[in-house]
Amino acid sequence: MLKRLITVLWPSFLIAGVADVLFFTLFDPTQLLYKEEPLFESHLAAYTVGFFLFWLMGIGSSALTCYFQRSADDINRCPLVPSARPEGCPKKEGCADCS
Amino acid sequence: MEPNTPTAQQQAQGEEEQSLYEVRQKIQPRAVHGWFANWRVALVLFTQLLYYGLPWLKWDGHQAILFDLAARKFYIFDLTLWPQDFIWLTGILVISALSLFLFTAVAGRLWCGFACPQTVYTEIFMWIEEWAEGGHLARKKLDTLPWNVEKIRKRGLKHLLWFLIAFWTGFTFVGYFSPITTLWNELLTFNTGPWETFWIFFYAFATWGNAGFMREQVCKYMCPYARFQSVMFDPDTLIISYDPARGEPRGPRSKKLDYKAQGMGDCVDCGICVQVCPTGIDIRKGLQYECIGCAACIDGCDQVMEKMGYPKGLIRYTTENVMKGKYADKNILSHVFRPRVLVYTAILLAIMIAFLVTLANRVPLRTEVIRDRLTLSRSTEDGRLENLYTVRILNMQDKLHKFKITATGAEDIQVVADEKDLKAGPQQSINVPVRLLIDPINLKGPSTPVMIRAQAEDDPELISETKSSFLRR
Repeated sequence: MLKRLITVLWPSFLIAGVADVLFFTLFDPTQLLYKEEPLFESHLAAYTVGFFLFWLMGIGSSALTCYFQRSADDINRCPLVPSARPEGCPKKEGCADCS
Repeated sequence: MEPNTPTAQQQAQGEEEQSLYEVRQKIQPRAVHGWFANWRVALVLFTQLLYYGLPWLKWDGHQAILFDLAARKFYIFDLTLWPQDFIWLTGILVISALSLFLFTAVAGRLWCGFACPQTVYTEIFMWIEEWAEGGHLARKKLDTLPWNVEKIRKRGLKHLLWFLIAFWTGFTFVGYFSPITTLWNELLTFNTGPWETFWIFFYAFATWGNAGFMREQVCKYMCPYARFQSVMFDPDTLIISYDPARGEPRGPRSKKLDYKAQGMGDCVDCGICVQVCPTGIDIRKGLQYECIGCAACIDGCDQVMEKMGYPKGLIRYTTENVMKGKYADKNILSHVFRPRVLVYTAILLAIMIAFLVTLANRVPLRTEVIRDRLTLSRSTEDGRLENLYTVRILNMQDKLHKFKITATGAEDIQVVADEKDLKAGPQQSINVPVRLLIDPINLKGPSTPVMIRAQAEDDPELISETKSSFLRR
């Protein structure tokens, strides 16, 4: 689980850094308006908020990649360990083809 | 549907992958002394003097290196870059990356082992650890001890020092982006802005975590460069290598023994090379991607070889081709100039030249022209047509200039700026409302392209022009 978390968080962090720099090089955040009001009171605030927004988007994308990578086995697998499966279950412990 | 169950193999794989992050054997490397260790100390001092010192350096009345995020201007000594000059900043990054590739092709992972911040801060944090908690055996013992006063005292001292260094590192980092003297004064009065405070602690936390806890795992699992550095390698690249032909068969022996007569190699199997390795690998198993090229095993092995009275260099910097017996160690230098290295050098030089030439020809003046969106065109009393524009003049020089605005594209264009004195101070931009007047007989179509040009009155070389259009209606 921790490995999953790192593979989601870390690449998005790297990309967020690059995206933040590129975006705010092209657009001066104080010139960004929302309902005719400036969106940010300071540059640093904009860069920080922007960075975390990009990070969130990257996290979303990486998380979906992880999610869709689940194999049929992962999805079909019985969540119970063999010994905890109900009586009469063909996959209960001791059966020929369960693992 | 028959539910699928994972095979034992898949489960085992899954567990093994988990163990990479979860059940990591904590590595307590043994400290080592020697030629390469001294070099690392020297490089730690040099890089940190540079890193901690540079933001305090003043140049021409401003911070020598300042990526002023709030003002959107980057100061690099005499050079002031605006967001429009981003290409040169990219150029600096590209040159750095290519230099790294060239270095790697010639001498392997020198960067990783000696200059990478991850290595440098891990090294500093390990000095503190060694000082506060003792050598690697004492630390291993401390790991297993229950929490008592002694352990709390040692660990507390270590973390306090780690925190101080991490905090100063974070403060310095923010000092590259926000003027550091102001930041320092704000810090003294606990008055730093919320965003600065956040980033100081964010970076401090990252330093503390990466250098104190993650350590070699950053290189093994997080570093993108570690993953692809091997593509720069070829059989003539310098790598740290154990010489199996000389070392094997390994085994412990008495110093007096004529081990060669017994059919033994030089390796006494003392395990020092494994104990000193910060990534916990055994270099005798061959080159592995975990190896960061720090040469700690060379220092460790050389000490043992010296004690045994054997020649040094059982583990040494050498190349794959030397190991295969294609040439001797002393001929490594003559194999440096090979096609790969020459191609890397040529590309690097070409980009450096392009960088310098374009930078030298950079005109520190820029104009942007915005057409008035409300009025397209209007007639004046004398029958001419008038278009309205806002001309933005960006003076990127460190002195004040007075500008004049002219235009070309049709005959007899008259430029009228309502303001008389078009002055832009050093590193300043001004917006100038401008009217262009053209007689309709000089216009060829509904839209005529015009060039609007700003020129410094005291420096005719300082000139910048932007294309716009003049509309008939």
